[in-house]
Parts: sequence; C-alpha cells; structure tokens
Amino acid sequence: MEVIVILLPLAVILGLLFIGGFIWMTYQGQYDDLKSPKYKMLLDDYKKKDGGDELNGH
Amino acid sequence: METMPAQIALNLPAQLACVHCDGPVLIAIYDHKNDLEHSKPFCCHGCLTVYQILQLQGLDQYYDIKNQMGAFRRRTPVEVEETKYLYIDDEEFLKEYSYQNSHDDQVMEFYLEGIHCLACLWLIEKLPLFVSHVNSSRLDLSKSVAVVTLDKSGKFSSVAQQFNQLGYRPHPLKKNQESNQLKMKEERQNLLRIGIAAAGANNVMLYAISIYVGATDVYARAFSILSVLFALPVLTYSAFPFYKNAWQSLKNKTFSIDLPISVSLLLGFGMGLFHFFQGMEDNYFDSLTALVFLLLLSRYFLKKIQENALSTQDLHYFYLGESVLRAKNETLTDFEEIHSKYLSVGDRLKIPAGHFISADGKIIRGDSYLNTSLLTGESAPVKVGPGDLVLAGTQNVSSEIIMEASKVKNETRLGGILKNVENGRNLRAPIVEWTDIVSKYFIIVVFALSAGLFAYHGFFHGNFKLAVEQSLVLLIVTCPCALALSVPLTFTRSLGKAAAQGIMIKNDATLQKVSEVKSIFLDKTGTITHGKMEVVNFKLVDENFNTKKLFQLILTLEQNSKHPAAYALLNFAHKHGTTSVDLTDYRETPGVGVEGNFDGKHYQINREGFFEDGKLIAEFSFTDTVRSDSKSIIQNLLNRNFNVQLLSGDKFSVVKEVAKVVGLNESRIRAMLSPEEKNRIILETPRSMMVGDGANDAIALANAHVGVAMHGSMDISLRAADIYLSTPGLKSVEKIIILSQETMKVIKRNLILSLAYNSVSIFLAMSGKISPLAAALIMPMSSLTVLLSAFIGTKKLRALWK
Repeated sequence: MEVIVILLPLAVILGLLFIGGFIWMTYQGQYDDLKSPKYKMLLDDYKKKDGGDELNGH
Repeated sequence: METMPAQIALNLPAQLACVHCDGPVLIAIYDHKNDLEHSKPFCCHGCLTVYQILQLQGLDQYYDIKNQMGAFRRRTPVEVEETKYLYIDDEEFLKEYSYQNSHDDQVMEFYLEGIHCLACLWLIEKLPLFVSHVNSSRLDLSKSVAVVTLDKSGKFSSVAQQFNQLGYRPHPLKKNQESNQLKMKEERQNLLRIGIAAAGANNVMLYAISIYVGATDVYARAFSILSVLFALPVLTYSAFPFYKNAWQSLKNKTFSIDLPISVSLLLGFGMGLFHFFQGMEDNYFDSLTALVFLLLLSRYFLKKIQENALSTQDLHYFYLGESVLRAKNETLTDFEEIHSKYLSVGDRLKIPAGHFISADGKIIRGDSYLNTSLLTGESAPVKVGPGDLVLAGTQNVSSEIIMEASKVKNETRLGGILKNVENGRNLRAPIVEWTDIVSKYFIIVVFALSAGLFAYHGFFHGNFKLAVEQSLVLLIVTCPCALALSVPLTFTRSLGKAAAQGIMIKNDATLQKVSEVKSIFLDKTGTITHGKMEVVNFKLVDENFNTKKLFQLILTLEQNSKHPAAYALLNFAHKHGTTSVDLTDYRETPGVGVEGNFDGKHYQINREGFFEDGKLIAEFSFTDTVRSDSKSIIQNLLNRNFNVQLLSGDKFSVVKEVAKVVGLNESRIRAMLSPEEKNRIILETPRSMMVGDGANDAIALANAHVGVAMHGSMDISLRAADIYLSTPGLKSVEKIIILSQETMKVIKRNLILSLAYNSVSIFLAMSGKISPLAAALIMPMSSLTVLLSAFIGTKKLRALWK
C-alpha cells in the first residue's frame, strides 16, 4: 500500500497536466473548427503517397 | 400515324458520367476533340473548364481525392456566372466586408455555394498556389465559409473570379468581428466546461471507488481530499450555466429543469463539504460531477445540431444575386457592375440570359422568356417584351433584356415574401413540450416532499442532521436527470441519423410536431414530379422518314437553344444515341422555335412539331414527368389515414393529370394557387405538413405546422422550412413520418421508465430506506437504463437507419 504515496501524487500531476494541456489547446483555437481537421488529416496521407510536398506551400 | 418504333426506344447507350461533377452527361463534351479514345466526357463547358484549370495548375489530385469519397459526389454541373465581381473592389464595399489581420493582410470571408466534399476543401486551401497575392485560404467545411487573406496589393475580385471559375459561387460575408469573437469565446468556454467536467468526474470517480472498496484511515482521508480538489472546479466553473439558468428561472418565476439540478448540486456540494470537514468519507462528488459532465455533453451536442450555418440577414442577397449591371448613360451602351444593395429606383439594368432579376420594374428593351416559377409556381416560361412588368426573383431564360427598376430591395414582391418568411419564423409559438410539463410538476412535487421530509425530521423530531441528509437523498435520488438526459439524447440521435441520410431536421420540436401531423399538402412541381420538362407523345407522322436522321437533326437544331423545351428534346434525342450534323443558316426565334438548312432542305422545330420544308414529320408534347415512387408513397400515406392534398400554381388540367397518375381523386387537388392562397389553405388547416420546392412555397412552408423543403429548392425555402430533404422524391417524407412516430415511442418509453424509477425511489427515500451512498449509486443506474433504451431504439427505427 505504501507505493500509493508515490502513485497518488503522480496520478494527480498527470491529471493536472492533461487539464492544463486541454485549456491551453482550447485557447490556441485547436477546437474552433471541429469538422474540417478530420478531413485535413486524411489529405496529409495523400501528399505522402505522392512523395512530393511541393503543394504544401511551405 | 404510328408511335415510336420499339427498337429505337430500346437502343439506349450506357449513361455517361461527367468526370468533374459525376452528373449524367446528355451531350458529351470532350477535352480532346480529335482523340476520343483518350478523352474524358464532361456534361458542360463549366465542368470542362474547371478540369482544365486543375490540369494546368497541376492540381489533378483533386480527382483522386474526389473518387475516394463515394457518397459525397457533387452530381450537379458547374455553373459559372458571367461576372467579374468588380464591385468587391469598391472602397465602400471593402470597408464593410473586409478587415485587416495582425500581419497587415486584408481578410475577407466568403460563403461558397457548391462545397460538397473533402476534395473541395483540398482545392480551396491550395488557392495561394495559383492565385497571386493570396497569402492563405482556409475553409470551414461545416459552414462552407472560406477565409482568404491577401497581401496589400491583392484584389478580392480576382479571388472571387477564381472561386466562380472553379464552380463555387462566392458570396462575400459582412465582417462581423465583434459578434464572431463573442461567439468563438462562448464556444471555447463551453468546451472548457465540458473538458474540465470530464477530467474532474473521472478523477473523482477513481478516488470514490477506492473508498467504496474499503480504503481506510489515512488513505481514505487522502482520497477524500483529492475528491474535493477535483470536484471543486466542476461544481463551480463547469456547473455555472445550471446555476445561472436556475437563477433566471427563479427571477422569472418559472420552473426549469435546471432548478432541481442546481438545488441538488448545491445541496450535495454543501453536504459533501460538511461531511468532508467533519472527517467523514462519504460525499456525493462522484455522482454530482458525472451528472454535470453528462448534462453538459448532451446539451452541447444538441446545440451543435441546432446551429444554423448562416444568419438570415444575408438572405436577400443570396436570393437576388449580388452583382447587377447598371447603365452608366442614357443611351444604354455602357454598363457597370454594382452590388445589388446599392440599387435604387429608376436604375436601368441589363439582365443577360440566365440571370435572376434583382428588382421589380418594366422592360425597356428586348424580348425574352422569364422563368417565374419561383414566384408563381407556373412551370412554363412566360413571354415578355418592352413595357411588360417583371418581378425580382424571376429568371431571364432566353435573351438579354434591359429594364428600369421601379421597386428595389424590401419593396419588391419578393422582399415582401422574405419579410413574411422571417415574421413567420418569429411568430411561430414554441410548442410546450409535454416532457417539460411533466418535469415541471415533478419538480414541484419533489420540492414539496423534500420540504415535508425536512420539516418532519427537523421540526417534529429535532434531528436536523438527519433532516438535511434525508431531504438531500430525496433530491438526488429523484433528480430528474434521467428525464432531462433521455429526451434530448433520443431526439439528438434521431436527428443525427436522419442527417446522415440527407434529411436535415431543424430541431427536436420539429420532429415531435411531425408526429402530430394529420394533413399533408404536396406541391406538384419538383415534389411529385421531377420538376423538369420531358418529351411525351412522340408521334412519327411521316412513317417513311429516317428516324436516325430525325434524331440527328433534332439534336443539332436544339443544342444551342436555352429554352427548357430544347433541353427536353436534346435529352430525348440523346437517349437514342445520335451524333450531330452540319447545319447551315441556323436561327432561333424566341417564342417560335429553331430552324436551319441541311442537305438542301429546310428544317424547323416549333411548338407543333418537327417540319421538313414546311411539312409535318413528327409531333410531340412536353410534360413534367411524375417520379416513379410518388404513387406508391402517396397510397401508403393515404392508408395511414393522412389527408393528402395536392396544391399547385399550375393549370387545373395539368394538376389533374398528375393527380390521376398518383391515384388522388379530384377532391384532393387545388390548382391555380398563388403563394398567398397556398398560405391561406395552410393556415386554415391545423396540423398540416407542407411539402414544397421553391420560393413560391416559402410562406406556406413557414406557416405550416411542419414545412418540408425538397431537394433543389432555393436557400430561402430551406430557411423557411423546418425540414430540408437533400434526396429527391417523397420517400424521405415517409421516412420522416416513421422516424418521428418511432422516436416519440422511444421517448414515451423512456419517460415511463424514468417516472417509474422516480416513483419507486421517492417512496424508498421517504421511508428512509436509502443511504446517501445508495442514492449516489442508484441515480447513475437509472440514467444508464434510459440511455441504453434511447440507443437501442425500436425495431422500425433500426430498420430505418440501415
């Protein structure tokens, strides 16, 4: 049971980290458009298959 | 006289699909005219142009992406408007529609018509590659809104032209930075509330379970502390909307479901803290946080579904088109392109063929045909000439006219209709859902009982600790969260499933209203019928005439005409697989027909038929054909005891013919109706469902108990209607009715379940048989049962979703 002394703070810190990350991402605008990114993700695969990245514009 | 030889009718070529839009190809246009084998077929020049642009820019990957999308194909040809969008570069216009971002770039938002899939998204975001000065282009698929940034020397008109050329008709959106920012902030806050509630609930649950399974002493204390720590933000920040709504309802002296939720949350919160400071382990934070999370989540999904992509203020421009050609001088030779909002009375406007008319007024010059079906429902084009009155919202079909505007914007007949539509939506009384009534009484009863229980234990027996605990148990265990959760979730699920099948239902109230419908009014054009002309009663008068040559000549004569009848004839000729011939002296006379010379003979097609040197060779007539499934569905609806009626602006004889085909007797048809008359019939009939297509039904759609707009109707109908069908035909109407009835069944079942649960738990809680711990365990169980019931649905619902 003594291991809880280490595990408990670890779990709490982990939990807080994720909450913090979520808040940060929300303010970064990552969740503003919930529909298009899931498609954009698929498009990246196409680019890789083509071998070229010139269409990326960067 | 003989009807068409059978072997010709059987000789149908395989239907070609356009490479760009996947729509059916009537007259194939090939990209390599001289090498048909390596050529690809297109349905129109618009589609071919887009294809060539993409090839030229090395963007042909578009087609790979598109072809992987299957169901999301466009299937409508590209329509390129002949406009340069020069009005966008007007300084006055830019001031209102564009803004600068932090990098000093100009930003403008466009609503794009015709966005349909992933490939569109890909293409739009590639814009900086082939339009100079564009720095970035982002598309929000859910709203069909593209945000384009330009460097200082760029012009938005060139961006708009490019969109137009690609087949996405652009509509600049008014900058609305403040309200948009406010909306975005609210959206983010909603997400934060849900996220924090989820994290909090999960962590609290973890520690609570540890306590339930027997953690003791210092461990139990540590778990308690952590529970409180994680529950605090959930019960304050995340749950804030509940408190706010509850406070509002108290102020307005109404009962809302947020009231008992807030009281339970606050009481549980207080009690939990009280227990915590007294050193006791059992608190209710696990169930309270879970409750907050689940309620927030279901409300968020509901809100997402109800959100409408565009606000109504852009409606007018949508409908009238934005750019207008206004005469710069008295001689009517020079025209400038302006935005229709800057139109004024007395302006002289040029309306090219195919354009919509933006103002009411009189024709000064030119003869043409107008498609007035949007206003009158009349399917045949109307002939107009100088001096005739024309109305905004009608389409100039055949040739260019010049008109003088006498009424503009809201003063036009169309503007009046639009105003009516908006009023119709505001006036519609929100029906009081009977679930609300049930929960309202339920809340009153529970509060009364809790107060009674508190008084009983507190004042009669003097045990205030027990009094608080027992009344809290009652409030928690009878919290109508099963009730609050199951009804919206069942609706949301049904709406979502319907949307996946192309049936857009505005809100859950609409779905309930469908189940109350007794009378169904069907518009004829485009609803029961296909909404376009087809050739019927084709008779070869001269039996010796070569049919192959006949179809070749029809095809050649009609391929350049824009008259709707010409399309019908083209389609008909093409079905018999012909190629064109070389004509000389081709001429189209509006209102008369087309003519030309071939092989030394004069050929003519007019209203009466097909002529060779003035001699009748073949005769035919045109009709709008009835959809193949209309009859069976109308009969099904009649068998279900619906009062089905046919409403039309068309002539009685035409409507009667259609009614006969679908098996409706004469007492069920009404012809020659104006939009106002249709509306009157709808208003006189309670519990009516109006199924219509086009703006002429807009008022009726808005005022019907349920308005259903069909595929192909204008944006205006969609906004006026409660339901929009993206798949043609009445099949979807039948689906909506089944969906609604079955959804209501599931909801009633869930209400019975949750009310039964609550009645039993009230009884148990009143007799003091439930401990706070048991209450916290039983409550989520009831919610779970109801949730499961909502997701399982009924047999008919599952069949519908397949």
